[in-house]
Amino acid sequence: MATKTFTGNSWLSILASKKDLPWLTIWIAGLGVLWIWDALFLNAPAFARLQIAFLNSLFTGVMVVLFSLVLGWFVGVSLHMLEHSKSKVGFAVISFVTDILRSIPQIITVLIGYVVLTILLHNGIIRSSFVQMLWIAGIIAIAVFLEVADTIRQRIDYFRTLDFVDAMLCCGIKERRIINVEILWKNSRSHMLHKLIAIFGISIFLQCSIDFIISVGLSTDVSLINFPMTLGNLLANVDSKQDILALSNLFTEPGYLPVIFVRHLQGLSVAFCIVFSLLCIYMIANGFVRRHKLA
Amino acid sequence: MNERKYNIRISSEGRELVAIDDFRLAKSAITVLLGESGIGKSLILLAIAGLIDPDELDVQIDGKPYAAYLRSQEAIDIRRNGFFVFQEPSSHLNPLATLRAQLREGSLAKTHDEERILRKLWQNSTSSDIESILDVYPKPYRPSGGEKQRILAAMAFKKMAASAELEDSTFIFDEPTGNLDNRLRNEFLDLLIENFRDRTATIVLITHDYSIISRFASTYPAVSMRILYRELMLERGKLHLRDFLPGEYLSWLEKRNAAVRTAKKTETILRLHPDIEIFGRTLSISRDKEGCNLEPLVIRKGAVTYLKAPSGTGKTTIVKLMMGLIKPEKMLMELGSAVYTEKTNRNAWARGVWGKQMTMVFQHADESLNQNSKVKDVFSGLPIAGPMNERTIANSISELFEEEPSRDFLNTKVKYLSGGQKQRLNLLRSLILHTDILILDEPLNGLDFASAAKVITKIEMKLQSGIGVLVISHNEEIFDTLVAADDIYYLHSWSPNCTMPDTSKR
Repeated sequence: MATKTFTGNSWLSILASKKDLPWLTIWIAGLGVLWIWDALFLNAPAFARLQIAFLNSLFTGVMVVLFSLVLGWFVGVSLHMLEHSKSKVGFAVISFVTDILRSIPQIITVLIGYVVLTILLHNGIIRSSFVQMLWIAGIIAIAVFLEVADTIRQRIDYFRTLDFVDAMLCCGIKERRIINVEILWKNSRSHMLHKLIAIFGISIFLQCSIDFIISVGLSTDVSLINFPMTLGNLLANVDSKQDILALSNLFTEPGYLPVIFVRHLQGLSVAFCIVFSLLCIYMIANGFVRRHKLA
Repeated sequence: MNERKYNIRISSEGRELVAIDDFRLAKSAITVLLGESGIGKSLILLAIAGLIDPDELDVQIDGKPYAAYLRSQEAIDIRRNGFFVFQEPSSHLNPLATLRAQLREGSLAKTHDEERILRKLWQNSTSSDIESILDVYPKPYRPSGGEKQRILAAMAFKKMAASAELEDSTFIFDEPTGNLDNRLRNEFLDLLIENFRDRTATIVLITHDYSIISRFASTYPAVSMRILYRELMLERGKLHLRDFLPGEYLSWLEKRNAAVRTAKKTETILRLHPDIEIFGRTLSISRDKEGCNLEPLVIRKGAVTYLKAPSGTGKTTIVKLMMGLIKPEKMLMELGSAVYTEKTNRNAWARGVWGKQMTMVFQHADESLNQNSKVKDVFSGLPIAGPMNERTIANSISELFEEEPSRDFLNTKVKYLSGGQKQRLNLLRSLILHTDILILDEPLNGLDFASAAKVITKIEMKLQSGIGVLVISHNEEIFDTLVAADDIYYLHSWSPNCTMPDTSKR
């Protein structure tokens, strides 16, 4: 019979049919295995640092997603409304600002944000780690929120090509309801969620990249030590760098391999956490696109 | 009459799309298959014709896997000796071959009837007009929907001629007249009967156009014994096929025609001046078919105004500009004491017109409704005084549906409804409003007869409440029973052969 073969309801087939969930499972399971291994073999202070770094990176990533969603939604909808309004001044101003932002590489925007953060730290305006993380999330969000704003505008523009918007307008339904509820909430959640998963991945990548760049120090008084512990921060730490360098021993001494997983755990664990998380987030985002047929 | 009975099940990713135990197909007869859109008519016939991709959908016919059916002699014969005219002609035509080449492809090359068939389908056109259409490629030159539909019909008729000697050949026409005006539709029907009369072909005609019944009854009484009308219905979630007696429609129509319709001189609500310029075209409105004496289109209280024109003239464009949705280069519309011109800002419509003075039902319910909304949420955000709770929504829905809707139905997403159910919701969303004017663009699209009759009754009730209605519809036979002769207008793309009247007195 040349028909579909998926008829079973086993959890495995359900998981496979979801396409993105297998990679979410792999991610969580991989991190779980790493946590158990580190609990057994990594020294206690390093293990504590690793856990804090992971949680801080996770928290910052989630905050980047939230800030990007709010900023992107606001800017995307505002641009659309202003574009169709009588006066084009507001549209021109916001377009100009966003285009400037678009023209600057994301890493530069984040670096500028870190410089400002350094000044604030230097002057004692910001002290708590929590506020520092919110600031870091905010500046990364400024660098990436246009991705959300663009998705929002694309979705609105697509629905404008159909009778969808006009038919509701003619019935007296307010335009802001049509855009925010009918188009974005009811018809674009999957598109937005996909974009937010990607932004979460980008935020982890940007955090690590910038932490590495500033590991040389931003001023004589402010260096990585002043910033909250994150995965990038921990990887840029000299102990972790040495652990990574230890891998080169394997070329001359292959028998050193088992020792690596016990003696150089901090650097390897951080590197694994970053690379493995980025890979899984990438695969989750791709699976999400396939599951919801977004492409 | 010799009939073949099918038991058909079609599903996709575990969701049942169609399940029917008693789909009957009469051999050597014309079956006119009626029923609201989206109910599964096309899918059932595609399955019978062996045209469904087994990798796309799970199909079982008579309890057997589809692959076995596709190998059967029956399916092979249908594909080899018959023809399927698709509802959407673009999906049938090859964009990389000229229409002429496609018209002479494979077994179609054998027949010599081409010129006669084309002449008939392109009534009043010269040979050079037809020739020029045949030399185009379907995609870049984009022949109109009506032209593509006629090309497909011509292919089917050629195949009919080629299969004339065969005892068993099946021809399926899926909404073959959807893009044709009444005159061309009648030409098509004449050709169909002409090809069928002395042969043994099995023909299925899927349609929502009930006026085909009157045409067959009045023009071809001799063949009426070999024409069957069947309606595919969904009752309590189950599909079944019932015999539809032409008398059901004809007597309803007769009753409506018997009512005397006179133009009551009621108050004018809207006046649209007849010379309009939009997209570089001049559109004009007249009361005469020729379009030489232009007159403003008037919508009056408690009356239906009917705007007629061949497909593609710009009827929908006109009503969209009346609603302020598109900007014309020139227009003048008086609505109550307000005047709307090409210079009027869109916000003026938003503030005073939409949902207050005027509302409009768009012709494609699929695009007009939010497919991801629940049924009850279709009514959210409407400018209605008082609360819209589940009770009031259910009451409103029951006006156009068979029975009071269940809670499950109210919570069903629109995308899971049939095309007919969507169209009824589309209509209800505007009918529930208390506007002065209601514009209906093809309001009977995709509806079965029972629903169409309910819609007409509902429009009459709205008229009694003093509302003015503007209708665009190809269901002339039905709407002519609702409109006084004085309220019928014709839309024209302006022809330089006619003298534009002096509109300075307006």
